[in-house]
Amino acid sequence: MANYLAQFQAIKNTSDRLVVAVEDVSDLWPSVKEGLEKRLPLKKASLNNKTRNPVYVENLQAEFILTTDSRLRSRFPQEQYLFWFREPYATIVLVSCEDLDEFKTILKPRLKLIVQNEEREWFIVFVSKAHPNNDQATKNAKKVYARLEVDFNTRKRERCCKLDLNGVDASFWEDFDFKIVESIRNTLDRRAQFYEEEIRKMSEQRLMPVWNFCNFFILKESLAFMFEMAHLHEDSLREYDELELCYIETVSTPGKQRDFGGLEHGDDQAALLKPGFKPLSQIVQDDSFREFEFRQYLFARQVKLLFRLGRPLEVVMRGYSFIISFSKTLALHENTLPFCLREVWVISACLAIISSTSSTYDGLAAPDNEKEFYRLHGDLYSLCRIKFMRLAYLIGYGVEIEKSPVNSASLSMLPWPKPSIWPAVPEDASAKVLAKEKLILQANPRMKHFNIQRKQLPLEPSSLLREANRRRASLSVGNLSELIDYRQIDGSGIDGHQKFSPSTTNSMSRTYSGPNLESSLSLDRPMRISEVHVAAEHALENTVTDPDLLKSLSSLEEFEQKYMELTKGAADNYHHSWWKRHGVALDGEIAALCFKHGNYDLAAKSYEKVCALYAGEGWQDLLAEVLPNLAECQKILNDQAGYLSSCVRLLSLEDGLFLAKERQAFQLEVVRLAHSEMKHPVPLDVSSLITFSGNPGPPLQLCDGDPGTLPVTVWSGFPDDITLESLSLTLTNTLNTDEGVKTIKSSDAHILKPGRNVIKLDVPPQKPGSYVLGVLTGQIGNLRFRSHNFSKGGPQDNDDFMSYEKPTRPVLKVLKPRTLVDISAAVSSALLMNELQWLGLIVKPIDYSLKGSLLSIDTGPGLMIDESHTIDINEYAKTMEDKVHAHDSNTITENNTHPLEPKQLYIENGKIALPDWASDTSTTLWFPVHAIDDRMARAASADSPHRQNMVDGMRTIALKLEFGAFRNQIFERTIAVHFTDPFYVTTRVANKCNDGTLLLQATIHSQVKATLCLYDAWLDLQAGFVHVRKENGRPVSSFFPLVISPSSTAGILFSICIDNMAIAADQNEVVQAESILNVMYGISGDRSNGAHSPTSLKLGSSDKLFFKVAIALQRPILDPCIAVGFVPFSSNCLRVGQLINMKWRVERLKDLEASPSSSCKDEVLYEVDANPEIWMIAGRTMGHALLSNARGSRTEITVTCMPLVSGHVRPPQLGLPAMDDANISCNPPGPHLVCVLPPTLSSSYCIPA
Amino acid sequence: MIACVAVVGHQNNPLYLQSFTGADDALKLHHIVHCSLDVIDERVNNPKRSVITLNESYLGLLYPTESYKVYGYLSNTKVKFLVVTTDLDVKDTDIRSFFRRFHAAYVDAVSNPFHVPGKKIISRIFAVRVSGIVKAFAPGTYG
Repeated sequence: MANYLAQFQAIKNTSDRLVVAVEDVSDLWPSVKEGLEKRLPLKKASLNNKTRNPVYVENLQAEFILTTDSRLRSRFPQEQYLFWFREPYATIVLVSCEDLDEFKTILKPRLKLIVQNEEREWFIVFVSKAHPNNDQATKNAKKVYARLEVDFNTRKRERCCKLDLNGVDASFWEDFDFKIVESIRNTLDRRAQFYEEEIRKMSEQRLMPVWNFCNFFILKESLAFMFEMAHLHEDSLREYDELELCYIETVSTPGKQRDFGGLEHGDDQAALLKPGFKPLSQIVQDDSFREFEFRQYLFARQVKLLFRLGRPLEVVMRGYSFIISFSKTLALHENTLPFCLREVWVISACLAIISSTSSTYDGLAAPDNEKEFYRLHGDLYSLCRIKFMRLAYLIGYGVEIEKSPVNSASLSMLPWPKPSIWPAVPEDASAKVLAKEKLILQANPRMKHFNIQRKQLPLEPSSLLREANRRRASLSVGNLSELIDYRQIDGSGIDGHQKFSPSTTNSMSRTYSGPNLESSLSLDRPMRISEVHVAAEHALENTVTDPDLLKSLSSLEEFEQKYMELTKGAADNYHHSWWKRHGVALDGEIAALCFKHGNYDLAAKSYEKVCALYAGEGWQDLLAEVLPNLAECQKILNDQAGYLSSCVRLLSLEDGLFLAKERQAFQLEVVRLAHSEMKHPVPLDVSSLITFSGNPGPPLQLCDGDPGTLPVTVWSGFPDDITLESLSLTLTNTLNTDEGVKTIKSSDAHILKPGRNVIKLDVPPQKPGSYVLGVLTGQIGNLRFRSHNFSKGGPQDNDDFMSYEKPTRPVLKVLKPRTLVDISAAVSSALLMNELQWLGLIVKPIDYSLKGSLLSIDTGPGLMIDESHTIDINEYAKTMEDKVHAHDSNTITENNTHPLEPKQLYIENGKIALPDWASDTSTTLWFPVHAIDDRMARAASADSPHRQNMVDGMRTIALKLEFGAFRNQIFERTIAVHFTDPFYVTTRVANKCNDGTLLLQATIHSQVKATLCLYDAWLDLQAGFVHVRKENGRPVSSFFPLVISPSSTAGILFSICIDNMAIAADQNEVVQAESILNVMYGISGDRSNGAHSPTSLKLGSSDKLFFKVAIALQRPILDPCIAVGFVPFSSNCLRVGQLINMKWRVERLKDLEASPSSSCKDEVLYEVDANPEIWMIAGRTMGHALLSNARGSRTEITVTCMPLVSGHVRPPQLGLPAMDDANISCNPPGPHLVCVLPPTLSSSYCIPA
Repeated sequence: MIACVAVVGHQNNPLYLQSFTGADDALKLHHIVHCSLDVIDERVNNPKRSVITLNESYLGLLYPTESYKVYGYLSNTKVKFLVVTTDLDVKDTDIRSFFRRFHAAYVDAVSNPFHVPGKKIISRIFAVRVSGIVKAFAPGTYG
């Protein structure tokens, strides 16, 4: 059956559509042909697919062929059977007859004969030629057609239809189409079933020796082809898929060694899209096909169907995996294939798939599919690129290929081609060898920028030289060591490592090449690398038939052009897909080539993309590889800002990625640029290089208004010391964001050491709140840098959730305004007036140092500080202890405090500087004051005690404490200090003796919280009084000393009498108006309690103090000249609203002449004083009453008045304004209070007379 | 043979990368691992495309090329584990088992209180443990 292969191929090529046979019984074809062929292609056909499910096919192509046509006649029955798919799928029988008899006798038997073949799907088209006007003819035709229907239609199926040549009925064509499609469907089903049955039978024999793949193939492909003709592409594709599976299974069964193929001219170009590339008959191998061609054929068939199905994406998908798997297959057969055929084939296959699909993809598919499509295109380009680079490397362009991670990753793990024998150097190739050597020598590998010394990444899985020589037939591994010529070419880039080549064990890391070796080759001598290249090039020229590829490999320029094209293709496609990283990485390769060609602008742009990708995801190792290149581009382009930024980024990469020397070079560049003549200052973010944070530990706490010094830890990533011209930091108030940020500056130049530095910044007074560090800015030359981050460590631009949830630690806390210090008076009780006293002030710092503070004291009026004395200072707590101690021992002592603590201070200009030791403890300051009161103390009458006004003894003292680090804090307070006399004195006449002696009692009330001790007291009497018995006015001397405890009283009695004599005698002298009580006393008190001995005296000494009290003594009334008496009321009781007469009787006791003070004549002036709210006075309240000057004359003054309120009320008083009170007896005149009753109950206020 | 193992953080930042090729060419492995993240991203973002359901940590073969293969594994915290192997014929179960051990080692390493999450793993013990796992890896060793 394999013999039919050629024929089968020819049939396939000629028949591409379904055939419908036309049995023209009545020679009608010419007249109906046109009408019938108009129906083609069939608009809509419902066919069944392989699984018998209906499928609607549109525009089904078909062809009418007469059964008399040679194409249908000249077939052998066996052929018909074999190539059944090309046989007619329906048979149309065209008949026409107008005579019933003729039909019965002639036509019917003939038709029976035609349709008896069971395998045919047929139907009869009865053509009526009858003109519609010709009734007879029409009638006959109808009769015949009716007969025809009876004869040929069955119950199941109608097989007849009638076509009127004159006037076609539209329903006919529908009927016609239906019948054709029905026939085709039935035929198709039957044939598919037949083929399947055959295939099944054949499949069962798969493992038998009779098995022949070609036969199977013909059957299978016939079925596939039939489906394809019927537009059932899906089914057809499935057949091919099955066929492929079956083939691979056949091929992979061990057993016969088969030819693989691929040795013919032109095989290096993939025939993935050309199913007819080679006739199948040419690739027959025994009972099967050669794999190389056949698999490509199958794939080409599949692709064709996929395109028909409109699935370019699937073409690419299948294409890529086919190329990969086929490449593996090629690798298995590599030793029989021409040199590098595998690589060349992959290149052409990839390009073929790309070119066929890139135009077909319309981009209307789902975005996901589109991305996938582009990704696959990128993969194809990338694969093609790798293979192309491999070829280029073999022929010596390797030195020009960038040794980037991308290229290294793709090439260094890709094994070398494994030809059975490595190609030998052709004859007369010495010129080429020399040229290659020159190329190798001249291609000085680009020095990395900044003199970065880095071992170059390998582009080869193992040393090419070694591999090539190892595979040469004449050399054995044993004499390999003879190869070694220690003349090495530095950085020739052919360094190789045998990492993945298990066959090589010892590593050769150098290239061995000697230009002075003889160029003529002997078989024994190992090849030099240039010779390997020449040999490879020669071999490739034999392998490659594609002129484009040959051209691309012909020169370095052509190679680079093609390389660029492929790289760009891959990158662009990856950019359109999900695989952005692939695209960007390839952009780096494009940039490298651009750079090489001096296209720095493009190179910089591409490098920036690459750097952004690596930096964004923290792939610092990769970044370290690319960033120097970007920096170099920017340097060449004079992009100073970019260059600076790149240098800084280089510096901020992890330690260990660059050597110290290299990092120093980066720093030098930064410093050089920063101090060069840049036109504008360049702002730069150095967050990754210079980082900062507050000092560990609690934040600096400042009180409101205090300036401070904030230590900030700054980490420098520079490898050497670097000088910063200025440095400033922003502080952000975390509590109050409205305030914005405060900048604190340090204008000093700082030199940052590598690593940790602590920089102190002065903080001016800030508002209360908690502050965090914001941004660090500074300047290096013209470089203005900023740094944002808060803590050291972590990849830059890292917004890792763990780190950004970490709250930023406040570095500075400015507390809310509070009291920092308190000054209060140490003693609340009164001090002695007019004596030098210790005034105690407690200075109490409240968690705040008073170091260097200055206390200004401003005394108010009536108080002065005795500056001649020093000021005592001691610890407050100690004072308290002392006090306790003093109480215990009942002595007043001062404990010795620390000897270093100065206890004596001096006041200068009203200011006291507090000692340092007192800066943190509460202290008591004692300074001597003197309160002055010029007024003399006065004694009060015991009857109406008149205490000394407290305000009189009050003195104020204004204090102002300047403290804080810069004396910026001010505390002001005015303290009131109470001064008082030691005691006050009340007097009363204790007794009035008949002899005129008065006992004057002076009661002494202690006013101080100290024990007073009276040593002496005497009374200097005023004029008019004398001491009884003319004594010196002292009480009994044994009386003294008299001790008065605090707040207690003591009394002294003086007996005095009125000096009648003195009145006249001293009349003209300046008489002492007041008596004075002189008291000599001592005081024993503690200054921490209150009044104490004056400062000038030693504490506890018994020196005496002197105190004077004025006492006003009144002479008794001795010469009354008028007596006033109140006449009792006439009625017993007074009532509200009742008129009463109040009467006073005035009587003259003396003659008027005797009274020198009287100036009136015979009348007296009176005045009634009454409260108008209580009393209503009728008549005059003031007037003159007649009273003769003679002694004993009397008169009565009557005033009518009416009480207005009830109760005990003060009655109206009679006063005699013209008279001296001393001359009026019985004064006050009248009762103090009278009782007024409420008005009597009455309906009216009218009182009956 | 395993050429390289890597741990990549949830933001695609490298946490750990160790090459076992014995040569000074780790950079190319960095590149391979980095590019493989494209595939992981694609799978994670297009769950319907991926063959393996995302219920499973193991992502399977990411990256078949002619010369090496990259396998991936994704933890619940979106930490990626990758293995680059030059063995072109490795059983899925072996790789799965390898990844489970690798993941366990990682979990132990990051449980160290001194490890800062999101930062590179610098633990030497982890490195030793991973080397041990890699050495023990041979197709068919794990069930």
